[in-house]
Amino acid sequence: MGGVSDAVGANFLTAQLDKLVNWARKSSLWPATFGLACCAIEMMATTMPRHDLARFGMEAFRASPRQADLMIVAGRVSQKMAPVLRTIYDQMTEPKWVISMGACASTGGVFNNYALVQGVDQIVPVDIYVPGCPPRPEMLIDGIMLLHEQIKRGDYAAGRVAG
Amino acid sequence: MSTTEKLIHEVEARGEGAFVESFDPQEGRMVINMGPVHPSTHGVLRLLLELDGEIVNECLPVIGYLHTGMEKECEDNNWRGAVTIVTRMDYLAPLFNEQAYSMAVEQLLGIEVPPRALYIRTLLAEMNRLSSHLVWWGTQGLDMGAMSAMFYGFRERELILDFYEMVTGLRMNHGYIIPGGVWEDLPPGWERAVRNITDQMPRRIKDYEALLTENPIFLERTKGIGVITREEARALGATGPIARAVGIDWDLRRDMPYEAYDDVSFDVPIATEGDVYARYRVRVAEMRESVKIIEQLMDKMPSGDFKNMDPKLTHPPRAEMAHSMEAVIHHFKLSTQGYQVPAGEAYVAVESPRGELGAYIVSDGGTSPYRCHVRDPSFVNLQSLSHMVRGGLLADLVASIASTDPIMGGVDR
Amino acid sequence: MTTTHSPGEWLDRARALHAEGWQLMDLAGLDRLRLAPADPRFVVVVQLINHELKQRQTIHIRAEGDPSSVPSISEVWPTANFMEREAYDLLGINFEGHPNLTRILMPDQWEGHPLRKDYGVGKVPVEFIPQPLLQIDAPGQSPNADGAATHLDHLGQVVIEGDAP
Repeated sequence: MGGVSDAVGANFLTAQLDKLVNWARKSSLWPATFGLACCAIEMMATTMPRHDLARFGMEAFRASPRQADLMIVAGRVSQKMAPVLRTIYDQMTEPKWVISMGACASTGGVFNNYALVQGVDQIVPVDIYVPGCPPRPEMLIDGIMLLHEQIKRGDYAAGRVAG
Repeated sequence: MSTTEKLIHEVEARGEGAFVESFDPQEGRMVINMGPVHPSTHGVLRLLLELDGEIVNECLPVIGYLHTGMEKECEDNNWRGAVTIVTRMDYLAPLFNEQAYSMAVEQLLGIEVPPRALYIRTLLAEMNRLSSHLVWWGTQGLDMGAMSAMFYGFRERELILDFYEMVTGLRMNHGYIIPGGVWEDLPPGWERAVRNITDQMPRRIKDYEALLTENPIFLERTKGIGVITREEARALGATGPIARAVGIDWDLRRDMPYEAYDDVSFDVPIATEGDVYARYRVRVAEMRESVKIIEQLMDKMPSGDFKNMDPKLTHPPRAEMAHSMEAVIHHFKLSTQGYQVPAGEAYVAVESPRGELGAYIVSDGGTSPYRCHVRDPSFVNLQSLSHMVRGGLLADLVASIASTDPIMGGVDR
Repeated sequence: MTTTHSPGEWLDRARALHAEGWQLMDLAGLDRLRLAPADPRFVVVVQLINHELKQRQTIHIRAEGDPSSVPSISEVWPTANFMEREAYDLLGINFEGHPNLTRILMPDQWEGHPLRKDYGVGKVPVEFIPQPLLQIDAPGQSPNADGAATHLDHLGQVVIEGDAP
């Protein structure tokens, strides 16, 4: 149920340590800058004074994917951008999570044509889908809080294929 | 082709994605890749830089990372539905996209737009100019290291987004300005919301000026940086604040007025130096002028229809559908097929925050656009980027990109 | 005001217009496959503006030959550089004399020219899996056909009791 138990074996002590580790992980998720299109503006607005994302410890958007653990794919992913997206995702270190923000990232959105990947889950495994075009900052925060619950429960990466 | 272009062409042909680097020790020349995932490139812009140490010799923008096939998608939707596609092109100025498209379709349809609709459209467009410039101001400050600029800019933008939500239902990508007028009338209480914005903005703009305009660090980083000459700007077709900052005194709102712009009086700020600071001053002055225009429009707002009520163009009011068979038939045809636009072509341009935004529409007489091409200002302005940064430092490149204010949704469409 | 030119006379006409002070605003390609008459298939549409006269002008240039070609005007108006690359990329119109006629919006190894009328939109079919009809009697009832008990957690999400957390 979490990093320590999986590594060392499950007993009472490691379960308590897991809780601590999961709480720490969820309280300071650092997103990687992956704003692509209109949703990026709403993602920026989420970090701004009115819908303050710093309350969750997440205002530090890291430019280097190696330092980030959350990738919020905010915007439409074109065919040309898809390999870049995968490269950035691969560079992130475990544990990592992906929020697909907006309709275009979740399913291709308003656009169903030759140029867009119909949903970023064709390329990377996604933990939370946030619908909307663009989703309000409150909706993104709701998605992030659901992710926090997932992390606290410690069942991340349960359904994911390794590698 | 220059050596860099050949190298870039080879790499692009190999399709290696984001990572390309080369170093030639004999010539001391480096080709470095910047982007497409980069905090300072204002979106998914990829720049191939040929560097000589810290000096930028050549800068080649590689675009297409946000290409959405919108022009093809428009051909797949009907005339009303294409508004929702067009609005997502330049996503910081969505109402301008809609306005240009709607004006072009109205020209083809040959219909009159009622005066109230024109005023509402102009009012929302000027609000959009204000909110777009606020984002520009925030990101310009952020790229220079003035992080507080970002917070101030977005704080004011929230007021304008509240107004949009009140009127159009959405904070961004509204789909509100349609051929024939606007989608819904202004709700009661809109004057108070606008007055809230126009009362606060002049004070806030003064605060912004206090923060950045006389700031010695900001002046060091922007004066004399990213200079483009008047001849270069004319040749490269730069429009908007980039052209006005080199002294090209051209603004579509004043020189070829459209909608309600001939009923309001405003100044068009001009500068002559052509550097980042000049563009900064031009845009801040434009913010002030926008507030003036909004106040005048609010005072002069006429009453009347908010869209052309021709039943072949607009859904009839629902109450009418209860007792009129024609209303039901019109509603049915409009909802299933949409209206038809006579064959022809039209090009209409508006003055968006980035320059001339034009919509070139071709109709074959059917219910969906035959060709919908949008002349996006960022697409053209990006060509002047390489001229701005040539010979400058790598750190100044970031200032120049911010002052070009590119929006990749419009560039790539 | 719209005029039409053939490719042969276009370059000289462009130079003359440039000397008169006309500026290039937009260059777009047009595939006239479904318009009548359908010949020539490709046309380049140029929008010009004159700041002194405050006028606009539209010019159509027929693309001739195989592949359909039009002389490039990027030496007259450097604005046309990116625009011609886009018309080449999306429609396949060849611009003779362009310094770097390569794909600009699509990936380099893309085949085909997407904006052509015989190139499909590329729609991916969306499968709607039919769901069984639900009988919802009470607010807060779980959309769960087995009728298991549910409660709301502190986030307001429906939690089906008996499910693994």
